[in-house]
Amino acid sequence: MDKPDPTRHVKTRTKKESLSREERQKQLEFQKEAVVHLNSLYNYALHLTMNPSDAEDLVQETYLKAYRFFNSFERGTNCKAWLFKILKNNYINRFRKNSKEPGKVDYDLIKDFYHSIKDIQNDTSEAESDYFHSLLHEEVYQALHSLPEEFREVIQLCDIDGFTYEEIANMVESPIGTVRSRLYRGRKLLREQLEGYAKKYGINTDNHQ
Amino acid sequence: MNCQKACVLMSAAVDSELSLKEEQGFFLHLSECKECKDEFEEAKKTKLIIKEKIVQFKAPKTLINSIMELTSLSTMEHEETLLFE
Ligand SMILES: [Zn+2]
Repeated sequence: MDKPDPTRHVKTRTKKESLSREERQKQLEFQKEAVVHLNSLYNYALHLTMNPSDAEDLVQETYLKAYRFFNSFERGTNCKAWLFKILKNNYINRFRKNSKEPGKVDYDLIKDFYHSIKDIQNDTSEAESDYFHSLLHEEVYQALHSLPEEFREVIQLCDIDGFTYEEIANMVESPIGTVRSRLYRGRKLLREQLEGYAKKYGINTDNHQ
Repeated sequence: MNCQKACVLMSAAVDSELSLKEEQGFFLHLSECKECKDEFEEAKKTKLIIKEKIVQFKAPKTLINSIMELTSLSTMEHEETLLFE
């Protein structure tokens, strides 16, 4: 894995002493464009790995790579989308190709997460009192993670991270029509899951306007 | 527009990703089809649920620090040890 490249080593050594103006500029720009998305990337990595330390590693690798190839980032396009794509590729390389099984949901981990933030859950403006609003964060999380990955992925990219269809299509390497239909089917599946929870509590799901 | 076509456009309607022409056709259909109208409302609600209920965690301080380090002055050496391909 870690094969040091002797030529690069020499190059960076000399640069280390006095960073060129361009290098400083690059760092500043990188912080403004890329580092601001750190939280989003971390959450995306958490969703993918379901493991905080794997998520940290992934984010770190992503930023290393992104910084190294920052020149190839097309200025004016969505930097967050660019970073997400790098992270996804890293994830695939790292977890798909190794024995480690991806996408296995660790429900204890989710519970831990949600217990640790329980205190701050009352801040949303939940005026409506229909069944959706009685759902717990944890349940929505579980429902989302129970979806097949192709559906979960587009829902996450769209609803949580706010990417456009074009950006999502680019990230999942599928046509926009596929993104549309996956979102449609994914949301339908998710709703069925959530209604299942609601029924469990005896909440009437037919009563929404 | 029939129900089948409306379903194809449903998600894009929820996300305001329809072209003007699609949008006109879609909402015209909704005005005369209760089933699709209900479906549309439910889909919108589902999106809202996800947005509201999925909590975003803050990245740990250690991670923030190491990223800041990576991208600020004289830390190019890190690349050598951490990068893998
Ligand atoms: Zn219809």
